Amino acid sequence: MNWDYIYQVIPQFYRAALMTLSLSVWGVVLSLIVGLGIALLVTYKIKGFTKLAKGYIELSRNTPLLIQLFFLYYGLPKIGIKLDGFTCGVIALVFLGASYMAESFRAGLQAIPKGQIEAAKALGLNKKQQFIYVVFPQAWAIALPSIGANILFLIKETSVVSAVAVAELMFVTRDVIGMDYKTNEALFLLLMSYLIILLPISLYVRYLENRMRRAKYGV
Amino acid sequence: MMKFQKTVKTALLGLVASLSFLSINTVAQADTLDTIKKNDVIRIGVFGDKPPFGYVDSQGKNQGFDVEIAKEIANSLLGSPDKIQFVLTEAANRVEYLRSGKVDLILANFTQTPQREEVVDFAHPYQKVQLGIVSPENAQITDIAQLKDKVLLVNKGTTADIFFTRNHPDIKLLKFDQNTETFDALKDGRGVALAHDNALLWAWAKENKGYNVAISNIGPEDKIAPAVQKGDKALLEAVNQEIDRLKKEGTLKVIYDKTLLPIYGDRADELLAN
Repeated sequence: MNWDYIYQVIPQFYRAALMTLSLSVWGVVLSLIVGLGIALLVTYKIKGFTKLAKGYIELSRNTPLLIQLFFLYYGLPKIGIKLDGFTCGVIALVFLGASYMAESFRAGLQAIPKGQIEAAKALGLNKKQQFIYVVFPQAWAIALPSIGANILFLIKETSVVSAVAVAELMFVTRDVIGMDYKTNEALFLLLMSYLIILLPISLYVRYLENRMRRAKYGV
Repeated sequence: MMKFQKTVKTALLGLVASLSFLSINTVAQADTLDTIKKNDVIRIGVFGDKPPFGYVDSQGKNQGFDVEIAKEIANSLLGSPDKIQFVLTEAANRVEYLRSGKVDLILANFTQTPQREEVVDFAHPYQKVQLGIVSPENAQITDIAQLKDKVLLVNKGTTADIFFTRNHPDIKLLKFDQNTETFDALKDGRGVALAHDNALLWAWAKENKGYNVAISNIGPEDKIAPAVQKGDKALLEAVNQEIDRLKKEGTLKVIYDKTLLPIYGDRADELLAN
């Protein structure tokens, strides 16, 4: 391990980590929003949308991210739409992530016992209030572990976006290896960078899960 | 707090495990010649998407200038041109494939550079090359100065990538893994021009109307040579003898006429190493 070399390329990896984070934040936040929307459409059986949403979920979960990216980056210019690599990356991440998020939210929403809604009705809450004060907080708690897993999954998937020339961690690692052949050093930095990004999130998700469980069962 | 410590401990354990895996992975196996003879097959890394040097034809067979040289080497070492296991490589992973022992020999249009000489051993060269720039005919790049603050497309880990990164930081590089991706990006207008080996560019521009190699001699003249794992003396010596033989007996020119002549015409003096 050549430490001088590692110090020398740390700035490059720092910029790449910021790029990975920025892809992750866009991808995760938009996936959560779109995913919740889809889950609501499916759960509350909004006319016409349910089939569409289910079709989308199947399409998104059964095609690889790399293919989705290539389609956006190399396919769309053939019909006159040219998006840059970052935009393609975010769109593809959301396309992939939203279906996973939707499934998590749906599972949470469907797990709420009917009695809870009946009780809310008995208290005189209207539909909107039932959802905001009774259904969603409980659904969120149930969905949280799988949403946490989805978030970690999406962040790791950003490595695929290097294929369309976005200078994130995987891209810079391969670039550095191709340029200087310091493979061990580059892979070490790659590993450390992902660990630094993912470990706190992983721990935070676990903390939230514990807190939710305590709130629910009082342990 | 116990939980936190446990998680960190698990993560660190994983880290250590992966690192030890890395170091095992990169131990070079010296003297592969014996292994090649024992297994009766030589594993050679070639390009799959760089015609006319190394490409896969419609029947799925490896073809091209580098592939023909590979067959000559296999014929001399093992008595048959078919005793090769071709491994397709990308520019950026050629060195890694050698170092990790995935291939015995690299014959993928590999330009000899000082950085590469530190990590692999080059045999005698068989080809000459310089960098070139291809651009659309209606917006030709005829001088490197025109590229300032513009986007230039390159292939990750190629001599073009290294040359422009080191010498022209004011040119924005957009880098891809595969040749096909880089050339697609040029067609989609993601950059004003593309830099690569001149020979490859001549071949590509001939196939793709509307593009022109207006610059074909950037930087110093380089040599293209086969490469083996660092310290693999026996195989290196065998390949050297073979390259010398191909040059002396004129076989190299015969291979040129078979694979490169249709594309480059009579440029053998410019392209073949002597």
